[in-house]
Order: sequence, then structure tokens, then C-alpha cells
Amino acid sequence: MRNKTIRHLSLVLALMLFAGVLAACNNGSGGSTQGSEQGGTSGNKGEKVTLQFYMLGDAPKDLPVIESEINKLAEADLNVNVKFNYTSWTDWDQKYKLLLSSGQPIDLIFTADWTFYQSYAKKGAFLPLDEMLPTAAPALKAHVPDDMWDAVKINDKIYTVPSTWIEYVTEGIAYREDLREKYNLPKPESLETLEAYLEGIKANEPNIIPIADSNANHTHGIRQLTSKLVNTAGQLPYGLDIMYDTPSTVTSYWGSAQHLEDLKTYKRWMDKGFFPKNVLNVKDTSNSLLQNGKAAVVLSGENPNKFNADVIKVQSTHPDWKLAYFPYPNAKGFAQPVHPIHNGFAIPRSSKNPEKALAFYEKLVTDKRYNWLTEYGIEGKNFEVDNGYYKMVGDAQTNGFPREGMNGWAWRNPEFMLYDKTFDDVLTMFEDLDKIKKPDIFTGFAEDWTPYQAEKAALEQVEKQYLYPLNVGLVADVEAGLNTFMEKAKQAGLEKIQADYTKQWQEYLKSTGIQ
Amino acid sequence: MNTPMNTHTRTNTRLRDSEFTFMFQLISYSFIIILSIMCLLPFLLILSGSFSSNESIVRNGYHLFPTDFSLEGYKMVFKFPTQVLKAYGVTVFTTVVGTTLGLFLITMAGFVLQRKDFKYRNTFSFFIYFTTLFGGGLVPWYIMLANYFNLTDTYTVLIFPGLMTPFLIILMKNFIRSAVPDELIESAKIDGANDFRIYVSIVLKLAMPGIATVGLFLALGYWNDWFTSSLFINNPDMYQLQFYLYNTMNTITFIDQMAIGTGITLSQEVPTESTKMAMAIVVTGPILFLYPFVQRYFVKGLTIGAVKG
Repeated sequence: MRNKTIRHLSLVLALMLFAGVLAACNNGSGGSTQGSEQGGTSGNKGEKVTLQFYMLGDAPKDLPVIESEINKLAEADLNVNVKFNYTSWTDWDQKYKLLLSSGQPIDLIFTADWTFYQSYAKKGAFLPLDEMLPTAAPALKAHVPDDMWDAVKINDKIYTVPSTWIEYVTEGIAYREDLREKYNLPKPESLETLEAYLEGIKANEPNIIPIADSNANHTHGIRQLTSKLVNTAGQLPYGLDIMYDTPSTVTSYWGSAQHLEDLKTYKRWMDKGFFPKNVLNVKDTSNSLLQNGKAAVVLSGENPNKFNADVIKVQSTHPDWKLAYFPYPNAKGFAQPVHPIHNGFAIPRSSKNPEKALAFYEKLVTDKRYNWLTEYGIEGKNFEVDNGYYKMVGDAQTNGFPREGMNGWAWRNPEFMLYDKTFDDVLTMFEDLDKIKKPDIFTGFAEDWTPYQAEKAALEQVEKQYLYPLNVGLVADVEAGLNTFMEKAKQAGLEKIQADYTKQWQEYLKSTGIQ
Repeated sequence: MNTPMNTHTRTNTRLRDSEFTFMFQLISYSFIIILSIMCLLPFLLILSGSFSSNESIVRNGYHLFPTDFSLEGYKMVFKFPTQVLKAYGVTVFTTVVGTTLGLFLITMAGFVLQRKDFKYRNTFSFFIYFTTLFGGGLVPWYIMLANYFNLTDTYTVLIFPGLMTPFLIILMKNFIRSAVPDELIESAKIDGANDFRIYVSIVLKLAMPGIATVGLFLALGYWNDWFTSSLFINNPDMYQLQFYLYNTMNTITFIDQMAIGTGITLSQEVPTESTKMAMAIVVTGPILFLYPFVQRYFVKGLTIGAVKG
């Protein structure tokens, strides 16, 4: 008996040894990461360390050149090296989660509201920067205005370095201006004129789909056109209504008279042929439909920046077309610039050299040499400064480092920024929006959906199954369809979600002192 | 009892039999033909799409035969071929090395586990079966490979996790058991062959159909793998071909969906429809050519290996 257990034990031991040998082999081939890690641990002695820097997206072609240039500077200034890592856009959210939860040594990582900065910060994935900032990066501390530092605080601690460049990602209606002029149609600047414009397109251009948005995305646009919601993107979750002027009153848009009326409008639009019949299965992006002349209007997802990109594309492929833009803030009467947490960098808890990382990030933002190298590339090779404007050398195919090729949105510094000439239109738009600007009171709110996670998933299913067909007018009896949707949504736990969300929202309002 | 009647019906049934066989063959052949056409059509659509001009795809959609013949898709793919070729190189390398190494390990494991005179075969089998029932999940797997083995950005990570699949080991074990009789091994032993010699000169040769089957499974697995690249590779020069392609497509989706509220502008060129199709053809091509050569072993290897438990 005992003999047997001993034999079993020795077997397990042998297996473990074998696994150990395997691991050792692999360590040999994984030398590069191993090396950098060792560099990290010896950082306390003031020796050279290698910082692991994580960005979203894909690396530009010339990244190794830029990296070595940056390392030359950083080695002289701070005795550090930097390794820039990119996650690529495939499953980036999952990779982001793995990077932060696996405890890999990472020194700097991109954060934003859409990468769930608030909930990661709450869960303790990042190091608080308050005590480190004045000593490790005094210039950076001074560079970012105090109200921005305050705005990014979670539980009274700073976890991210916000970008100081103010931009607007508010949306608007992008439409074919040349067709409007040709058929003498009204400018689509309200629900009525929009409908008249779409009618005109349908009547005169049978080959063009009036509305480009697929998957029932147009509703976000219509909501922004017709209401003064607290969220700029018009995408309040769970069918809630929170108006900017009365933020403490939370009502349900789903199931309301307004909702029914909107759905009836969409049904009418479908009957008039504004949507293609297979709108829920269209895979083309709405932008490409507009750019290729297949559709006339994009209602959702067109922020000034994106619209500018569309204009440039259309100018090169169809110079006889004209695009125009109506920003939703003009209809609402106010615009909200992006919240400071929209672009930033945090130091994960696993970092071995937080002070050095912060000092390096300070250089990236406040030192023009670092900033230009990482935003625009090498002067003369990747870009030229022409009359104060940014000018790319060659084109996007031949140039290995296009403007902001490193996805360096977070360390844009307004003092050093160079713009392409075509960007002037966007800047004018921003100036106009500046005149009606009001602070963003929504993005600072961090929703915690753990109490109703199961209900949330169930509701998403119900929404896809019952609400999307209503949104594109595919249900014959709108009122009955809405009733079915509401019933199914309630079964999925809509009321619990809405109540909990409302509670969290009101607590947030109280804590920030917003009336 | 009624003999005359009996002969009569017999001729009748024979007639009906052949009719029945004919009908059966007609139906089954037409069914198979329709099924294979249905399988081929999407591929034909991709092929025709890759040879169409992008303009015609956008305007008129996909056609079975290119309405406006053009090679621009392929020209775009190979305009700056370094990245495509690098990804190709990585995939070919991992497929060849992974398949060869994996075959060695799997056949050895299969051979050892089916030997009745191997004392611990049940214990070892248990370790292997166990992993098919209970897995640690994604996060522990990731932590293991990334933090403990430090495999991020290495070629090892592209090969190592796929080397031995429990299913393939079981398949190989059963195949060897049915293809190599115990008596043969015994007689070889009597003739003075050691275990390794038996493995090399008897088992490997008799197990050829099984090896071809498992090899194809392994090769397909390595060729189609994108997930390991996605998780562990940060260096674009080390992307596998499938991931390179998949990532390009995802970037487009991202531009459409995420860039709405993020204000992000991406500076990359978005590939056109015909380029996407050309890429798909370039990616699937080689493995399509591999298949016919392995196919004749395939059916045999799979059924024998699977039936006898």
C-alpha cells in the first residue's frame, strides 16, 4: 500500500520535473522579455531600466526607428529605455483585461472612458499618482490644469494623466450637399426637414439608399436631434432619459409616448423606403456607403474629425460631389467637449518603476523633441513643417509614420501640435462649438453593473430581438410591438436595472455637487 | 407453400431492387452534387470578388463571375509584399515545425499508451483525459504562458501550446492499437529490437494513415491559428498570416464602431473589398493544395482510429 503511494508520488514528481525542464527551455527562447524584466528589478540601484509601454491599436511601420531615437534621448535624460507595445484592434478589450489582470510588468498603459478607466481604477488596477506627481513629474503636474486633475479623480485619487487638448466628438448629420442643391431640397436640420430631404432623395435618386446607418444605429442620431440628453453621444443605457437641464430627474424613454411616436416615424420611413429591407444585416460601414455614393445621409457616428476624413476621401475620388454637416449641438443648443478621462495614461499596479515611468511620460508631453518624434515622426523624413502646417512626406503608403501614427492621442500637447491644412475646417467647427460649450457632467460617472450583470446580458438580447426591428420599421403594428418589447424587457429585469442605475447616478450627482 | 407465387415475387423484387438502387443513387448523387455546389459557391464568390475591380463590387455587389475583371486586389496585396511575406513565412515555419514536432510527440505518446506492458499507462491516460474534462480557462492559461514561461513575443508560443492535443493522442493511440498487432511487437522483441527501434521501424510505418490524418489536423490547426498571435505577439513582424488578415479586417470594424464616440482617427489605409478577397485567396491557397495529397489516407485513418475504442 505504502509502496504504491510512494510510486505515485515519484511519478508526479517526475512529471513536475519534466514540466520544469520544458519551462527552462522556453525561458531560453523567451530571452528578450526576461532580460527586460531583470533590467526592471535592478532599477533601484539607479541602473538603466526598460519601461514597458502599452498602447492600443497597431504599430506604425517605422516604430523601431522612432523607438531607437526616443531611447537615445531617454537614456541621456533619465537613463531609461522604452519598449513600445501594441495590442492591435483584434479583441483589444479582452487583451486589455488580460494585461491588467495577469500581473505582467507594465509601466504605462493607455486609459480612456471607453477602455473602462473608471471601473479599473475603482478595482485598484492602477497606482494612485497624487504623491508621485510633485516629486517625479513636477512639470507635468503644472502642465495639466487643476480642474482636469480634479475631474479624473476616482475616490479622491488621481489614477491617470489626462490629455490637455480639448476636442469635440459630438456627432452630427453628414449629407450629400450636391444632391440637395440639385433637387432644391431643404437642409436636414430638424426632424421635419430631414424627412423632406430624405423624401427628395428617394424620389429623384432611385439607386441611392437615403439612410446609410445599419443595425438600427440611426436612433442615437435622432435622439440627439430631438432631445437635450445629458450624454453627448445620445446613448444612455437601458432606455433611460436624463435631460441636461434637470439631471436629477431620471425617467424611462422606453415605453414612453415619445418612444412610441419615434418608432412610428421609423415605421413611416421604412414604408417610404428610406432604409434598405435588409438593414439589420448590412455589413458595410455607414461611412463607406456615403463615400462611395451608395447612400445620402449618415445620422450616427459622424464626429467633426470623422466627417473631415470623409470629405478628404470624397474630394480625391469624386471631386464633383459635395458633403455637408449639421452638428447636433446646434439643434440642442449646447456642446460638451470631451471629458478629461477621455484620453490618458495610467501606471498599472504591476509596474516596477512607477517614478521613472512618470518622469518619462512627463518628457513625452512637455519636451518638444519627444513629443514631435512620437506624434509626427522624424522631421524631414516623415513630415515637414510648411507655413506652420503639418505636411506628410510622400503618402500614406510610402510613409512609415503618418501623423499621430503611434496613436498618441493621450500625449497631445496643444502648444506643440501641428495640424494638416485640411484640419482647419474641423478647428473652425471646434471654435463654433466652443461658443455653446457646457461641461460634460456624464462621463465622470462610473457605472457599476455587477449588481445586475445577468439582467444586463438578458436585456441586451431582448433589445436585439424585439427593439431593433421596431427601430427600422420592420414591425407592422408598432404599438403592439412596443408592448411586446416592454413586456420582454421587464421579464429580463429592466426595472431592476433602471432603479439601480438611477440610484448610482443620483449618488454620483450628490458626490460631485451637480444640481 | 406457394412456390410459383414465390418465384414470381422474387423476380419482381429483384426488378424493384435495381429500380430502388437506381433511385437511391440518383437522389444521393444529386444531393451530394447540390451540397458540394453549395460549399463551393461562397469560395467561387471570393475568387470572383478577388478578380473584380473594387468599383464594381461596391456598385453591383458580388457576382459569381467577375463583371469587371481586374487584378488590382492582388496588386494591392503584393504592392508592399514584405508584411504579407513575413506573415506567410511565420505561418509556414510554425506549421512545418509544429506539425513535425507534434507528430513525433503524439505518435510516441500513442505508442507508449497503447502498450499493455506499460505499467502506468492508466495513470498517464488519466492525466491526458483529465485536461479534456477540466480546463483552467483563459486567464490562468494566459498567465502561465506569459508570466511563468515568459513566452510573449517568441516563436515558441506559436508552436508550443498546439503541440499535443488530447483528442489527437487518443486518436493516435487507438489507431496504433488497431494497426500494429501485439504479436508483431513481440516477435520484433524476440528478434532483438528495442522499444525505440520498434517505434521507428514498425509503428511509424504501419501507422502511416493515422499519421497523415493527425498530421493534417495539426497542420490545419497551425495554419488557421490566429488566437495565439492575437494574445501573445506584439511584434508585427511575427504575426501569423491569419492574424495579419483578421487584424486588418478588425481595424475596419473598429473604425466604424468604436471611433464614433472616441474621436480617434486612424491613419492606416483601409483595404478595399477586392483586396480583402485577394487576401483571403492568398491565405487559403496552400492548405487547399495540401488537402488532395493527404485526403486518400484521411478517411481510413479517421475511421479506424475512431471506431475501435
